[in-house]
Amino acid sequence: MSSLTKELTLVDILAKIGKWFYILLFLFMTVVPIIWLTISSFKTNFEFETQPFSLPSVWQFQNYAKAIQMGGLPRLFLNSVIVAVSTTGLNILVSAMGAFAISREKFRFNEALLNVILAGVLIPIIALMVPYFKIVSTLGIYDSLPGLILTYAAINIPISVFLIHGFMGSIPIELEEAAVIDGCSFAQRFTKIVFPLTKPGLVTAGTFMFIYCWNEFTYAMLLTSSESSRTLQLGIRFFKSQFVTDYTSMLAAIVITMLPTIIVYIFLHDRIISGMTSGAVKG
Amino acid sequence: MRNKNWKQILLFLAPVLVLFVAYFVYPLGFVFVTSFTDWNGIGAMEFSGLDNYLGLFGDETFRTSLGNNITWALVLGFVQIPLAAGMAMILARKPKGWKMFRTVYFLPNVISQVALAMMWLAIYNAEHGILNSFLELAGMSGLTRNWLGNMTTAFPAVIIQQIFYIGYFMIVILASRMGISESYYEAAEIDGANIFQQERHITIPMLKGILITTMTLALAYGMRHFESTYLMTNGGPAHATSVMGILLYRNLGALNYGEANAIGSILIIFGGATIALIRWLFSRNDNTSDSVQ
Amino acid sequence: MRTKRIILILALVLFALPGMIWAAGGQETGDQEIVLKWPTIWVGEDSKAATVAALVDEFNEMYAGKYQVVIEANPDYDAYRNKLNSQIAAGVVPDLFVFNPDPTSFSFYEGKDLLMDFSAELAGDWGDNFVSGSIEGATIKGETKSVPFEVGYTPVWYNMDIMEAAGVKSIPATYDEFFAAAEKIKAAGFIPTSQMTGGTNAWTSMLWFSHIAASLGGPKVWDKPITDPVFVQAAEILQMMYADGNTSKDAVGGDAGVAGGHFLAGRSAMFINGPWYIGRVRSDAPDVYAATKIGPAPGAAFSGAQIGFPQTNLAAGYTDDPRKKEAVVAFMRWMTKPENVKAIAFDSGAMFAVKYSVAAGEKVDQLQAQFMNAVNDASFVNSHFQFNFTTDVVAEFGQALAKMALGRATPEEFVQQIADKIR
Repeated sequence: MSSLTKELTLVDILAKIGKWFYILLFLFMTVVPIIWLTISSFKTNFEFETQPFSLPSVWQFQNYAKAIQMGGLPRLFLNSVIVAVSTTGLNILVSAMGAFAISREKFRFNEALLNVILAGVLIPIIALMVPYFKIVSTLGIYDSLPGLILTYAAINIPISVFLIHGFMGSIPIELEEAAVIDGCSFAQRFTKIVFPLTKPGLVTAGTFMFIYCWNEFTYAMLLTSSESSRTLQLGIRFFKSQFVTDYTSMLAAIVITMLPTIIVYIFLHDRIISGMTSGAVKG
Repeated sequence: MRNKNWKQILLFLAPVLVLFVAYFVYPLGFVFVTSFTDWNGIGAMEFSGLDNYLGLFGDETFRTSLGNNITWALVLGFVQIPLAAGMAMILARKPKGWKMFRTVYFLPNVISQVALAMMWLAIYNAEHGILNSFLELAGMSGLTRNWLGNMTTAFPAVIIQQIFYIGYFMIVILASRMGISESYYEAAEIDGANIFQQERHITIPMLKGILITTMTLALAYGMRHFESTYLMTNGGPAHATSVMGILLYRNLGALNYGEANAIGSILIIFGGATIALIRWLFSRNDNTSDSVQ
Repeated sequence: MRTKRIILILALVLFALPGMIWAAGGQETGDQEIVLKWPTIWVGEDSKAATVAALVDEFNEMYAGKYQVVIEANPDYDAYRNKLNSQIAAGVVPDLFVFNPDPTSFSFYEGKDLLMDFSAELAGDWGDNFVSGSIEGATIKGETKSVPFEVGYTPVWYNMDIMEAAGVKSIPATYDEFFAAAEKIKAAGFIPTSQMTGGTNAWTSMLWFSHIAASLGGPKVWDKPITDPVFVQAAEILQMMYADGNTSKDAVGGDAGVAGGHFLAGRSAMFINGPWYIGRVRSDAPDVYAATKIGPAPGAAFSGAQIGFPQTNLAAGYTDDPRKKEAVVAFMRWMTKPENVKAIAFDSGAMFAVKYSVAAGEKVDQLQAQFMNAVNDASFVNSHFQFNFTTDVVAEFGQALAKMALGRATPEEFVQQIADKIR
């Protein structure tokens, strides 16, 4: 990157202006919601409903106290962590194995199988509430964390297989051929070659998975009923009652539930991704 | 031709297949079968043939919704993906603060949709919305309106707020873009190619697989789009922003399982056809690649 | 090798951890106590939550070792209703639950052995606790498969400060007076009415429509088909309420937060909602609270009507087990015991289908007292639109209303669009 020594052409200058305009426009559009959300969570409901873009006249810190206390957030937080971590692990492991078999081996139904699984991406999941309730209650895992974990892991198979398969497709098959000559078994090809090389894809898919679990509401509501198996998103709805919604306490609860995902995202995703991409790129 | 590793392949596929059959094949079978019945979830199912389907295609609201879903799919696939890809290309060249940008762009995907919808409702509001205030400040008070309560602007308003959330797809594309070796770009630089030429001739061809993957996903998300519309307008005003997911949800609420599941089936069939068409178009343009993406 | 080990450990943890938690949670006490699970919306921010929880605790104490009711919190009503629908379609009914009595939910009655029938029990002295007519309203073909509980009354809320500022002396008695008052209110810089076409049911405007229909068509108006001229005329008046700045600019597409927000902010003069909103006005907008006068909507062929409807019924899943049924009935009787209902009513401001007496000198909220007077003074009480139609028709009401308000449909087309949705 020694652009300083070169003379700047018109194209370069235009590119530079365009680039920063583009970066800053999107930055604005993404940062505004977060700022707005945070500020709003310190207002009274009256201020929120009547002047949604002003600063609070008195900062309402009690919204946060209320959010933590009333929604029972600590317990729900633990449940959300268990569900999100377990689901991500289960889903990524299962999907990676499946994607590996489909993408690295040739057999008769290769393509057909992939397309059938991909079609799952299209399905409006809300249409499946009745059958999912039946499955989960038949398995005897209604109102339990395993019920949620299994359902979430299954629902996201199409997207995970799709993403991981896409990333696996870019690994040269020659690497594996060489490994087979060296005496690598089928399983070792997966664990030693493809799995490590697909890490960016796995981490990306895993991140999506984690965030999905963290933010999912409909099935958390449908498949659990007692506090011992409920997740954070249900805690947020504690501020929405039949006739009256406590918007600002709800926003406080949203901010609280959002923080862990942001932290997980920044530390896990970015670390892993940068670690991998900076080191191991070969021609 | 039988693959000699078939036992291992089967072993590796088994978990996926078991979950897929339980959570997709069986439920979809249920959806398809009930879509040919009149069923309220309580009494007996009565076979009604194609009545649900004919009824839907005869219904103007449903046709509007289907059209809106197609618009959603096209906008996400052909506007949002290029925007996301453009950002990935910029960030891949590591401008100052690129790591921070990469993280920040993704954050809207972490915020609950409920909060985002509340904000956009406040932005578009006709009485105290910030968009109208801006227009008035800029001396364009003639343009102020009830953005989400207007037949012409409601649908574009709902779509536009979504376009800016490129983080999800950008992350995928960027992860792939970072895998391209720098040596290609260095070689092109020496050959005197400018940035645009480099992106055009190196990045785009090499990212083709992931671009089609993300585009397919975006189309699928457009076809089954539901959440932000439901939270912002619930399909209104006068069905102007309605999508199939909203009608499906409303029918579920009214215990019209037959009609709800017919909508679900149509959604899957139309979506599948759209995606198959797109993938076929791309694969036709490129006969040298037999890649499935 | 390391990767493999990591995967193995990961897999073990994944499968073992939730399994253990589940196993630990799954151990039941195994004694003879009957445990009834009650997924309910009366939790969290709901004004009835604290008193309902206290009553359940008291019940559990009273029947310790015999019966136990466990509240399962489901504060979000739409999600609660959705879950209930899915559960019932999958053939699983909760021990105890609540529902909105409307034609969609009443179809639960059709299911064989789905809901418990209380008709035999209610025929005795228990039935005497209820306001006359309410049990009949929960009975279909001789079966009372739910217990009437909360009722809603939705009179018009008038902000008298605005009315006086605009020079309007009294609550408009006719629609001519109403629109004359609206002109003065606009001239004074206020919004005459709060309206909304959004949300699942266009709540505020749906209630305006019900009031107008009652004034034009009288007590039996819902017996007429929706295409009847009386509804077309009601639609015309509602259309006028949306025209010429008679409501806020954000009314089309607005939700309950929009309609209520303008009233709370002291911007709109006339608003409709139930007694549950009293607490919000009192805490958020004390000036508006002090200025509010509760009254009927303007009259036409009929005057002095109020809108009232069953809001929530209590129900239970069918059971063969006589002991379980006994437990359910004991709980239902407990919840509908006049003094218990009175406790909930006093703490929350809600109104009920159960009669209770208020001793002289007991302090009632001034708006709540106005509500009770408005109901007592009513020449007749009609249900609202929502009570008479299935939920998809109610949803179509808001969509059709937006179309009419935007000038894209005539009142005739408006009622026709609704009629087309009726099965």
